[in-house]
Amino acid sequence: MTTQITWCPGCTNFAILNAVKNIIKGKEKEFAITTGIGCHGKIYDYLDTSGVYCLHGRTLPVAFGIKMARPELKVMAFSGDGDIYAEGISHLIHMFRYDADLTLVVHDNRVFSLTTGQPTPTTEKGFKSKASPQGVKEKPLNPIKLALASGCKFVARASTLHPQQLQEILERAVEHKGFSFVEILQPCIIFHNDSEMIKKKAYKIEKKLPYKEAWEKACEWDYDDGGKIPIGIFYEV
Amino acid sequence: MRLNLLIGGQAGQGVNKISDIITNIIMKQGYFTFNYRDYPSLIRGGHNFNVISISDERIGSFESKLDGIIALNEKTLQLHKNKLKKGGFILTFKEFEDLGKNINISLAGALMKVLGIDKKLLIEKLKEELYVKGAVSAAEKGYQSQEVRFKLKKLNNKVSGMTGTQGIVQGAINSGIDFYFAYPMTPATGVLHELAGKAKKGRFKVFQSGNEIEAVNAALGASFAGARVMVGTSGGGFDLMTEALSFQGQSEIPLTIYLASRPGPGTGVPTYTAQSDLDIALRGGHGEFPRVVIAPGDPTECIEKTNEAIYLAEKFGALSVILSDKHLAESEFSSDRKPNKPLQIEIKRKIPGKSIVKASGYEHLFNGDTTENAEITRKNAEKRLKKYEEIKKEVKKFEMVKVFGNKNSKNLIIGWGSSKTVILDAISGLDWKFLQVLYLKPLSDEIKKEMEKARKVVVVEGNVTGQLGRLIREKTGIKIENRILKYDSRPFLSDKLREELKKKK
Repeated sequence: MTTQITWCPGCTNFAILNAVKNIIKGKEKEFAITTGIGCHGKIYDYLDTSGVYCLHGRTLPVAFGIKMARPELKVMAFSGDGDIYAEGISHLIHMFRYDADLTLVVHDNRVFSLTTGQPTPTTEKGFKSKASPQGVKEKPLNPIKLALASGCKFVARASTLHPQQLQEILERAVEHKGFSFVEILQPCIIFHNDSEMIKKKAYKIEKKLPYKEAWEKACEWDYDDGGKIPIGIFYEV
Repeated sequence: MRLNLLIGGQAGQGVNKISDIITNIIMKQGYFTFNYRDYPSLIRGGHNFNVISISDERIGSFESKLDGIIALNEKTLQLHKNKLKKGGFILTFKEFEDLGKNINISLAGALMKVLGIDKKLLIEKLKEELYVKGAVSAAEKGYQSQEVRFKLKKLNNKVSGMTGTQGIVQGAINSGIDFYFAYPMTPATGVLHELAGKAKKGRFKVFQSGNEIEAVNAALGASFAGARVMVGTSGGGFDLMTEALSFQGQSEIPLTIYLASRPGPGTGVPTYTAQSDLDIALRGGHGEFPRVVIAPGDPTECIEKTNEAIYLAEKFGALSVILSDKHLAESEFSSDRKPNKPLQIEIKRKIPGKSIVKASGYEHLFNGDTTENAEITRKNAEKRLKKYEEIKKEVKKFEMVKVFGNKNSKNLIIGWGSSKTVILDAISGLDWKFLQVLYLKPLSDEIKKEMEKARKVVVVEGNVTGQLGRLIREKTGIKIENRILKYDSRPFLSDKLREELKKKK
């Protein structure tokens, strides 16, 4: 790869890039990826595998089309939180329903970074930015609850602060037959650095959970100030 | 010989179905027919009607004056009686009210007798297609109620019927499509239905997506992965797809879109017709990138031009738009002409799984990686321009325009799309030459040459701003002052158009 990496020095996206590189290493031709638009999307340039750099919000339908035409490919769709929870939310809900055999990897930094710091649907209440000088008034979306409520059969949350577990979760997600959803807490060190908060509150989900307990665990942290943050696979069937 | 018959009733009374059956029987007798379908946007009740035009010569339209009315309800009589010619006939539901759901069949029986067609043809067809209890006796009862008025003796023509929708479907299948993606929207839905019905036996798949944005992006994904794809929609859905059209321009993933128009703006008049989406077909999507826009004018052309559109999209990594409308999509045309042999469409490009392939919506290097370099940006823009020049050369192989009528005439009509066949009927026997524009992009140089040869030029189209006229002016510098525009959401009628043309002389 000759492409110059243009993420900020120290960007947490590197942790995701490394994990994915490890997964596809030696199997580059067996994979196809899609990306949306935002900092996450740059991963398209940094991976030596087939892929489509889609428009903002459209990573999932393109990935779905690739999988339909070439079912033998392992398909990974990458997106950001603005990308999939704002612009592309309808595609996400339909994909839960279609349960196509592909993996969605959400780089959730809880902010629009490439457009310089506006709030996204997972930004906490009160967040101040140039677009929200008086602070965000709306309650954030909890994507884990959305996935569980929508019948998704592989629901996980990873964190770039826990890189080994991140790679394990992604490996399991790629192996999962059907649609797998991996929400990654990926703090933006420039516009939304909640690394300390995540470090303090994160704990690992140790065992396989039945649906009811998965739901209760998903409710422990609502992307707000309260609670502990469970990291791991919430639900897998 | 020409007859125009109107069959009307409530939605759900089987007006369209029985019109279909009658038309097919008449075609089997060697007559040319045109079956126009008029219905409002509702499911049960309301007022639906078909106009069946019959001739011993080729036709592609219906006329305003009626030779007969077949009324399945009172409202049909109230609404259409004033269009009945002097001496025209009426067949009404009143004699058959006790037959309930079979009123339509009894009236078809009555019509067979009036037209002097053997009742056996109807009974056979009913057994084949519409076997409901009491159908045969209803047909018999209707037949016995009338006297013969016309004698439609059998002719030697081999005529078959097809809608524009069926033409698009045949063209797509001939092209070997692997996937059709669509979200329901009148009048494009017919293609979704027909292809879905054939998908089980075919080698292709049909997917009804969650919305139009998903449809077009999934199509782009499948196409990237090496499939031949088509997407279908109408104006509002096309609007939603336009960001993806622009993405196509940058990523160069082959894409064909079937755009079946209806009157806008907004929801407009959803079950009626217009030719008002030429502008968006030509220009939808941000940035500058090549595309092909083709407007077939009858079902045979739908077969041929769909094939050309898919061929060009694959060959050049381009966007092809097939532009139709409700009138072409849902009217049943008759023809004794066979379509041209389809072009074989091979996929020669690299596909994922076998190679590493990248496609991007960003400006990119040859390998697909992102660039913001000014020099490469400039070269890529010029590359897209050059691609269009290559497309322009390639399409010269195809019929981009057609000339009909009196080829030596100095009076020239220019038209496109569904207006084609009605113009042909309107100028029959008159001193007019008709230039049909099939390729709207690229536009043929022949148009300017024909205009220069003519003394009088009239453009005929179904919109209020004269979109083809404006396009011709943009490309040739010539303003066409003489226009016949129709924008009441109903198609042109051949007799009315003929009167208007006579005024232009």
